[in-house]
Amino acid sequence: MYQKISVLIIEDEKSICDFIGKTLDSHEYKVTAANNGKDGLALITSSLPDLVLLDLGLPDMDGMDIIRKTREWSSLPIIVISARTQEKEKVQALDAGADDYITKPFGTFELLARIRTAIRHNNKLSDDSQNANRPYAADGLTIDFERRLVTLNGKEIHLTRVEYKIVSLLAKNSGKVMTYDTLIDQVWGPYADDNNRILRVNMANIRRKIEENPGEPKYIFTELGVGYRMLEDGN
Amino acid sequence: MKKKSQSAKQKNNGKKKTILTRAELVRVHRKDTLFSIAVFTVTTIGCFFFNRMASDPTLNIAMLYTLGVFIIARYTEGYLYGVLFAVTSVLSVNFFFTYPFRNFNFSLEGYQVTFLGMLLIGIVTSVMSTSMKEQQRQLADQEKALMEAQKEKMRVNLLRAVSHDLRTPLTGIIGSSTSYLEMGDKLSEPEKRELVEAIENDANWLLNMVENLLSITRIDNETAKVTKSLEAVDEVASAAVIRFRKRFPNAVVRVKVPDELVMVMMDAMLIQQVILNILQNAQLHAKSTKPLELTIDEDEDYVYFHIRDYGVGIDETRIATIFDGDSYHETTGETDGYKGMGIGLSICKTIITAHDGTIIAKNHSEGVEFCFSLPKEKEDEKDVSEDISTDY
Repeated sequence: MYQKISVLIIEDEKSICDFIGKTLDSHEYKVTAANNGKDGLALITSSLPDLVLLDLGLPDMDGMDIIRKTREWSSLPIIVISARTQEKEKVQALDAGADDYITKPFGTFELLARIRTAIRHNNKLSDDSQNANRPYAADGLTIDFERRLVTLNGKEIHLTRVEYKIVSLLAKNSGKVMTYDTLIDQVWGPYADDNNRILRVNMANIRRKIEENPGEPKYIFTELGVGYRMLEDGN
Repeated sequence: MKKKSQSAKQKNNGKKKTILTRAELVRVHRKDTLFSIAVFTVTTIGCFFFNRMASDPTLNIAMLYTLGVFIIARYTEGYLYGVLFAVTSVLSVNFFFTYPFRNFNFSLEGYQVTFLGMLLIGIVTSVMSTSMKEQQRQLADQEKALMEAQKEKMRVNLLRAVSHDLRTPLTGIIGSSTSYLEMGDKLSEPEKRELVEAIENDANWLLNMVENLLSITRIDNETAKVTKSLEAVDEVASAAVIRFRKRFPNAVVRVKVPDELVMVMMDAMLIQQVILNILQNAQLHAKSTKPLELTIDEDEDYVYFHIRDYGVGIDETRIATIFDGDSYHETTGETDGYKGMGIGLSICKTIITAHDGTIIAKNHSEGVEFCFSLPKEKEDEKDVSEDISTDY
């Protein structure tokens, strides 16, 4: 029988909880809600949802603690709901193990896209490695990870080694935000300079190679103060 | 009103003085006494010097003591020290420099005149310089009070404008939702849709307003400065455009960024807000016939962001004050219900000023161009080219 994907919402604002619940309900998700951190943690362990939507500003405990406690034993996807101006908070949540974030206020389209991406990535993790190396393709841009080949509208794009590393990392996590620190760690190693200027320089070069207009990117988007997000894989 | 504030100020001044009478006053007097003694000693030593060297010492001695009176009057509080110094100098001239030396002789011919003259000079200069000092202090006080009042006025204006601007869309939201709830069965589908769209529109506007106000809190209250970090300008521009499209999905913005990577010190969230405000302003008011344009260029010292529309333009009389936020009140009659842009633009100005940049608006033959600049800061970090060299 077809099994609905279950989503747990941990959010203290009733109106936001209702709105998310109704939206997800109408898109064939099974929704449970908790309006404080304690209930939320209990529900995570007891009902094992497929995905958690977590508001960081809870009345009884720090949302960060919920992420850490959950990450001690589970890799279930967590999407953080956060306010616009708090980039530091977002980065902290991602560092603590959250999969992604969504900025308040958000539309249903954005919310559904984030949930789909998070669940797809979680499935990919548990899949066999063959599937994980599937080529990336979205809106004319393809990346063949086995042949290390990047093409744009059928034409090959020449990237330097570092540029390819960055692009393939983003593509493998397409749709998900990657923080500056994560990218720097994975491309230059943990002892690299904290300064993310070198990343910006490479990103500027990449954009000038793959984007028609670097001022209006189609493939790699900037999340100010947080990191980069690549257009979701069209496959 | 004016009188009231003046008397209040006098009271205030009085208060200041009574506070001064305690420990402060003792400190000031001790300082002034020491200062006067020092000046007196130096002057007298100087006079001895002249007495030996110069051919006509009396004139020089008198000059020197007069200078002393001036200095004392200028740098001490009140008349007391100036007058005391004048009296002492007349006595000391009599004692040291007139016959009989090292002794007083008050029966000297013309002495009374000299004595009176010196005394008068002492008193007059003391009075003059004291009143000058007093005037200066009053002027400084007035200026400070004026600045405070202006600040207060801005705060009140902003608050009034904000409350008004918040109430307008809220009235719309409450009205639309109430009519939907109360007359839902009598309305046709398109009418219902119209109501909900109006709610969405007003809510979006409110959100923008609140985010603008929140953004101000990122500016330090005391220093009016922001926390800056090195950011790529094209990333900030594209992030702003993406946020703009979220609200106006059908709007087209042509973005042009420099060929090379340009990085500049800024608070990216705030600059994003500035670009967004100007774009939204153009979208809502300009009635542009062509797509909006966002162009970034640079020279030696600055990076410039140009936002251009091809719309109706701005009234020349308004353009000078468009960033002041005041213009909002005068324009209430002619705008289309979205009056908050005055605040949006004054927030832009606040943000750019906090970045040590400038912002201007100018009319073209067709449409308006907003342009703001951010200073490039010299930094001692590694050169960009050095960074690239690690990228093989």
